[in-house]
Amino acid sequence: MAEGGDVEWELSKENIQPLRRGRDISALHQALSQQQDGPTSAINQQRQAFESELRMYDGDDPLGVWDRYIKWTEQTFPQGGKESNLTTLLEQVVTKFADDKKYNNDPRYVDLWIKFAENCPEPLDIYRYMQAQGIGVMQASLYIAWSEEYEKQGNHRKADLVYKEGFSRSAEPHDKLLQFHRALQARVSRQVMMTVHDDSSDDEPQQPERVSLADLKHRGKKKAVAPVNRTGPAIKSISGGLQSRGAPVLGNASNSRLVIFDENKNQSAGSSGPAPDPWAAPPTSRAKENEQKAERWCDVKIPQKTKFGHTVMAPPPPKPTFQPFVEESTQPPIMTPCKINPAVNTVLSARKPTKEETPLKRLQDHHQLQREAEVGKVQEQSMYCKELLLRGATEFCFEELRAERYFLKMGQHSQSSKPETDQPSV
Amino acid sequence: MTSTLKGITLKGSAELVAEFFSFGINSILYQRGIYPPETFTRVTHYDMSLQVTTEPKLNNYLTNVVSQLKEWLFECSVQKLVLVITCLETNEVLERWQFDIECDKSAKESSAPREKSIKTIQDEIRSVIRQITATVTFLPLLETQCEFPSVCQLFCSGVPLTSLLFFAGSFDLLVYTDKDLVVPEKWEESGPQIIDQSEEVRLRSFTTSIHKVSSMVAYKRTDSA
Repeated sequence: MAEGGDVEWELSKENIQPLRRGRDISALHQALSQQQDGPTSAINQQRQAFESELRMYDGDDPLGVWDRYIKWTEQTFPQGGKESNLTTLLEQVVTKFADDKKYNNDPRYVDLWIKFAENCPEPLDIYRYMQAQGIGVMQASLYIAWSEEYEKQGNHRKADLVYKEGFSRSAEPHDKLLQFHRALQARVSRQVMMTVHDDSSDDEPQQPERVSLADLKHRGKKKAVAPVNRTGPAIKSISGGLQSRGAPVLGNASNSRLVIFDENKNQSAGSSGPAPDPWAAPPTSRAKENEQKAERWCDVKIPQKTKFGHTVMAPPPPKPTFQPFVEESTQPPIMTPCKINPAVNTVLSARKPTKEETPLKRLQDHHQLQREAEVGKVQEQSMYCKELLLRGATEFCFEELRAERYFLKMGQHSQSSKPETDQPSV
Repeated sequence: MTSTLKGITLKGSAELVAEFFSFGINSILYQRGIYPPETFTRVTHYDMSLQVTTEPKLNNYLTNVVSQLKEWLFECSVQKLVLVITCLETNEVLERWQFDIECDKSAKESSAPREKSIKTIQDEIRSVIRQITATVTFLPLLETQCEFPSVCQLFCSGVPLTSLLFFAGSFDLLVYTDKDLVVPEKWEESGPQIIDQSEEVRLRSFTTSIHKVSSMVAYKRTDSA
């Protein structure tokens, strides 16, 4: 077999998430080789350095630190995933500078927002929020990302409208906006021509896609089979050359005799065009079909024992309408001791209605809190540097913070040649 | 394709390598999105499925280049083939796929065929093409598109040459040859089109025992992710 130089990346290629701007190959190799050794100290040290810098930075451009940290994280953790804390960091940086007007149209900040949006369940909401708040409205990258999201969902009309909005706002860089807009139009017109020309697109052998799950066997008389092929948004691929026909496949899923409940459908009926709506209320929480609304529990009683001698471990479901079959047995049902004191009802409490937590919701809650703080309605105020401790991906303790300050001071002292009186202070 | 069961001749080797270039260039054009994916069709070769273009002008152009390459391979006078991808709008070089060709000059037309099974060669070629596909893990997304094929450029150790069959486009093919080569009429001199600040990755190589082809890709180093 022919040799191939450094092939670690090829062996781990399935564990490497492609980045839009590409990866630095040396960083990739370092990350891969260190991953094989387990979380070594080199990566942890670098990370600790970044975390300290986040807290100690005193200059004009705090965003720069966050930006570098996040880029380092992306390059060093090719798999992405929880270990990288990428989502935490993105959420923090986005929330932190949301009110800082000077960063509103900083291209780095806007790119961070876009990365954040891509990690969210509903990126379109994020983009609309950004527009309403005036974040990134002068940057071409926002409109490009927004339009691509629409295109991914098959909504070419809106995708085009987004570009028009960008042009009307004179987003910069103008040429880039123009270039991407033309590319979109070319793609759309090609797709239109394709659907007009060959209606026999179904006959063309589909690329053998990787089937991730086994085919489900049908039960009973109905022969409907749930498809295990990827359709729609799952087919998105980053490389332009492999952008297999996302939108038409949505229509060509010939297997789906089942109508699959789409919890996101009610979203698209929302605002017309990307006109800025006042954000009076947060975006509607997702309509999940298998969540029951919380109901009052006043009518359900918990008996000590049912007549079959089973210990009651949970409030029973409503009694069935049929009479369950009881075996004729000579032995009386065994009485098992009941360990539950019926007066104490704390074994399982009713499930509290959980609020649908999405990153956007958290962002808006934060925003709400800040506004209240300004007005003076705030309920509680922490008297320690809570924000400083919790900044970044991991939490610092007081001692670490103090140590950082000490190191900084030592560093400054060693640089200055004059002896200064050393005052012990924190 | 020659399939002398006895081994590889110079002519056979030249054909194998030229064929590899034909499929390889098509694959790169497809993978990098230089041409829209709908303009490609799937074929099976080297026991794998490959994409080749259906666009007639591009096809024509590639066929010409490949047949010229075959000649040069036979004469052992070509040193490198480079596929350069430039951004249409800004004219800067984004990616550079370089194939170095080492020719065993001792193999002449009349010498005995070499011992190497075609299957082995095909396996090696298959690994190379698979690896090219896998480079998507670290290559940046190319936003540049292309409507028609473009110049084919020739490099004569410092005297680059360009083809005259030419349309506006965003990829170029450069060939480095021996110094004393007579420039064919459809070719012209050109510059090397090096990327400044590039990241380079060596890829696999394969050999037919007469020609050895090693591959490498260079892409513009990005300062952001």
